[in-house]
Amino acid sequence: MHLTKEENEMLEGKYGYPVQKSMEILVGLGECYDAEKMIPVASSHTGGSAVMNGKAGCLFIKEMAEKSGVFLAFMDTNPSGIDPFLWREIGIPEETNQEQMAMSNDLVKMGAFLGNTCTPYLIGNVPVLGQHVSWTESSAIIFANSVLGARTNREADPVPIAAALTGRVPAYGYHLDQNRLAELRILVKAELKDLHDYGVLGYFTGKVAKDKVPALVSLPPSVSWDALAFFGAATATSGSVSLYHMIGITPEAPTEEAAFGTRRIKDFPTFEFGEKELRETEESLSKATTKEVDIVILGCPHASIGEMKALAQLLSGKRLHSGVEFWILTTEMVRSYAERMGYVHSIEKAGARVLSGTCPINMPPGLLKKQGHRTVATNSAKMAYYIIGVQGLLPYYGSTQRCIDAAISSVWR
Amino acid sequence: MPEIILNGHKVAKGKAEGEALVSREPISFLGGVNPATGAIVEKNHMLEGSKITGKILIFPLEKGSAAGSFILYEMVRNKTAPKGIINWRADPVITVGAIIGNIPMVDRLDGDPIELIKTGDHVELDADKGIVRVRSKD
Repeated sequence: MHLTKEENEMLEGKYGYPVQKSMEILVGLGECYDAEKMIPVASSHTGGSAVMNGKAGCLFIKEMAEKSGVFLAFMDTNPSGIDPFLWREIGIPEETNQEQMAMSNDLVKMGAFLGNTCTPYLIGNVPVLGQHVSWTESSAIIFANSVLGARTNREADPVPIAAALTGRVPAYGYHLDQNRLAELRILVKAELKDLHDYGVLGYFTGKVAKDKVPALVSLPPSVSWDALAFFGAATATSGSVSLYHMIGITPEAPTEEAAFGTRRIKDFPTFEFGEKELRETEESLSKATTKEVDIVILGCPHASIGEMKALAQLLSGKRLHSGVEFWILTTEMVRSYAERMGYVHSIEKAGARVLSGTCPINMPPGLLKKQGHRTVATNSAKMAYYIIGVQGLLPYYGSTQRCIDAAISSVWR
Repeated sequence: MPEIILNGHKVAKGKAEGEALVSREPISFLGGVNPATGAIVEKNHMLEGSKITGKILIFPLEKGSAAGSFILYEMVRNKTAPKGIINWRADPVITVGAIIGNIPMVDRLDGDPIELIKTGDHVELDADKGIVRVRSKD
């Protein structure tokens, strides 16, 4: 691997231990993938939950902070293990709060911004077309690569930390042009009515694409950012897909020819997504066994201000069932706008809560089951998939309206 | 006593010397190894119940979740980590784990370490030079 003079000095320890250790990590990683050189990164996005990072992850961050590491690239964080305002109310243990504060403080010491969200692109971490970044969080990675046209691999911690401490990543995988071309087609024939339908399409796409780059054909150019976020989060859940193209929509795919490069499109497989696939995929995600729903969770990925507005309208004047907990997950930034706009008031008046900076996947595992919850309703394919393993709940998966109806009656229909 | 010398590629720097523990099967650090005790806990693994602590651990490759990197780091903190690691070819998870844990590691040797090294052999690992010296226990 070719290193510049400065990169060699980093490796030799001229800039201190955190930079040296980080460069060792990046060179090691680069050699695994036969990278030829390092490239500068515009930003990093790292795991924000002390629970998810575990004891060892927290210790690593602490060591880097104590040895005076400084992030050279802009660094922000994925959801933390707690809600900064409501953690006691929702039953997060004091110990988790302490561990979270300690890890967050260590990240801040090195210069991180505690965005605490899986949607960094909604709060200002927005790399532009062609820029290289080092992000964790599969739903954010796929958004950055596909919608923004930025370039990141699916990084495992501590790589984004090493990248931010040195300002570099090894050039391999999705950083290189030749690995960003489409490798299969998804022909969309079903009518996609709301956000949730885009999640269903995403879940189908991830299943058939596995770790390849899919190109989606026949989607309306007016598709919203929210729909793209739902689609990508689901795609990265059922497959290890980190990049997709939507022909005529996403920046690297103005045409099918652009998406597939100089290769013959007919050499690649095409999969159809019709009404049958829509229905079957949706049903496959519902694993609940009783009709009674005791918690509803929306906002995965974290809700945008547009979603908050829509939810406030849907919940306005409604009264949710007293036996059903209702969580809407979002960022602190969106929450504060939603508060000013009166959305939070409408939502809370109906009996729902707006949580910020966290989500059940990043909270202590099993917490919700311990609190007596058994069956969750959600409009997110990603949440439906992960909540089984992390929180031990069985999901119903359906549209936002269906989730709200379940929260009013406490029964899934 | 016959000595074998193998040459390969440095993954994580440093030198280590100790007794070999050889697995023909891949190892997953997340879930497959208990970081508190250093024991392999994966059900039906050929080394289930063996302790990797203080050993020169030789196995084909890592498998499983990306969170495995931090497990190796935690094992170093717990003093349950292996002294050195030899793989056919290092994957990103084990690479990052060995580097942050300062565990000397090599891969891509010029002979198959899983065939040539037996559990219990004495291994000297010089990762900086990419050299592995093996003295048979027999």
